[in-house]
Amino acid sequence: MVCTTVLLVLLRQALWLVVPFLLAIILYYALFPPVRRLTLAGVERETAAAIVAGIFLVAALALMVPTLSWLAGQAVTGEEALLRYIEGGQALIDRTLTALETRFGFLKRLELHAEVGGKIAEFSGTYAQKQLAGTLLGAAAWLPAMLLAPFLAFFFLRDGRRFLKFMGDAVPNAYFERTLYMIDRVDATARAYFQGLLKLTLIDTVCLALGLAVIGVPNALGLGLMAAVLAWVPFIGSIIGCVIVVLVAATEFPADPWVVYAAVALFLFVRLLDDFVFMPLTVGRSLHMHPLPTVLLIFIGGTVAGVPGLILALPLAGVVMVVAGTVGGIVNEPRLRARHLFARTLRERRITADLRL
Amino acid sequence: MLQIFQGNRETPRLGTLRQLSLFATLSPLELRVVDGLLQERRYLKGEIIFDEGEEGQAVYLVIAGRVLICRQGEPEAGRITELDSGVVFGELALLDDSPRAAQARAAEDCVLAALSRGDFESLLDTHAVIGSKISLQLARQLGRQLRERSSAAERRPL
Repeated sequence: MVCTTVLLVLLRQALWLVVPFLLAIILYYALFPPVRRLTLAGVERETAAAIVAGIFLVAALALMVPTLSWLAGQAVTGEEALLRYIEGGQALIDRTLTALETRFGFLKRLELHAEVGGKIAEFSGTYAQKQLAGTLLGAAAWLPAMLLAPFLAFFFLRDGRRFLKFMGDAVPNAYFERTLYMIDRVDATARAYFQGLLKLTLIDTVCLALGLAVIGVPNALGLGLMAAVLAWVPFIGSIIGCVIVVLVAATEFPADPWVVYAAVALFLFVRLLDDFVFMPLTVGRSLHMHPLPTVLLIFIGGTVAGVPGLILALPLAGVVMVVAGTVGGIVNEPRLRARHLFARTLRERRITADLRL
Repeated sequence: MLQIFQGNRETPRLGTLRQLSLFATLSPLELRVVDGLLQERRYLKGEIIFDEGEEGQAVYLVIAGRVLICRQGEPEAGRITELDSGVVFGELALLDDSPRAAQARAAEDCVLAALSRGDFESLLDTHAVIGSKISLQLARQLGRQLRERSSAAERRPL
């Protein structure tokens, strides 16, 4: 846990690189299976990586062009739409607080509605007017770093194997098999985690989109996908996703609070399915960690490195566990050290054979 | 269509790999796939390749030189066999997940190609044709070794 925390603190110093790196790793594990298929079909690694990355890029562009033109169309009314959703949320809270005050007299005496309503109005007004522009500009500043992700993913796909071979070659013969074991385990752990995360995202998207479509919330697929991607950030990601869907539902159906309640119930149901069914079947199998250190690590990750720390804490801990276990095994194995010394002596003797006095 | 993208780079090791009994039935294309997974290691005479009882993480092919298989720490008295170039060893530990059955040492300076457990298993999982061809050759090699041992035991005086 200490090693993971130290690594997370170090990562915080290079956050501009960590985020695209993280996205590149996710992209790498998403694109790796087709690259491997092509490689095993006889296509050279470089060519296979170029083909798959090229197809991905074309598909991404094909998807982005209509999305960007749609967004451009929406941009004119973007601020209005945002304010409309915030007002929709405010109206929902108003209605809920009024209903609560009607039912429970002591809440009315406490002037809960006026107190909470005032705070929310103050927050939403200040946020929308002052903070939002800054937040959007901050997000735009991340864009160049984000463009690094596909390039990094391409080079991981193309040269990843070469790098692993280079690592293997750099290791002395005595430690060769242990290093092979460590590389295989690290790769298997990271692959299982990130591919599990992608499967979980797909399952979540389908469940949420179906549920939202049944409830009648518009843009069910888009909202489901957004909420599923936000869930990559443990704890707060799911809450933010739920809040966004609730805002949309409250705005689109102001007269029907049951749509909002149904959306919240759907999120809770999918969350429970995630925790008890989907996650153990996908991500959970990759790390084999006890739930207590898992939760602690996520909190530590969030504290020391923010959102990337929340996402990275678990896979990093998995990799650290494997590396520490193997390196510890090598250090505590006198036979391997002795074999290495023996091999070094043999080499020295060979090199200095004609230099003896 | 895939042929368009297939490179024609012939590594020097491919020629040697072609001579190995383990890969005798592989097509040139399949051989190149396997070649991409191999890691070359060089050992000096007397250097230990692996110890008896160790967890096996790779199967080795002798590209050049000779390898001695012996009881742990007994290269002379515990000598089991000596392998020439073209022979595969260390495959048992990978097939049944058992510890290494004997010690392997370089009988002379040698060049080995190692195929890691991860790559070997991934090959069996994802490329059924190559996997089955290699498995069949491994089974034949193990059968041959078994027959040689049994006939040697029969010849031994009681």
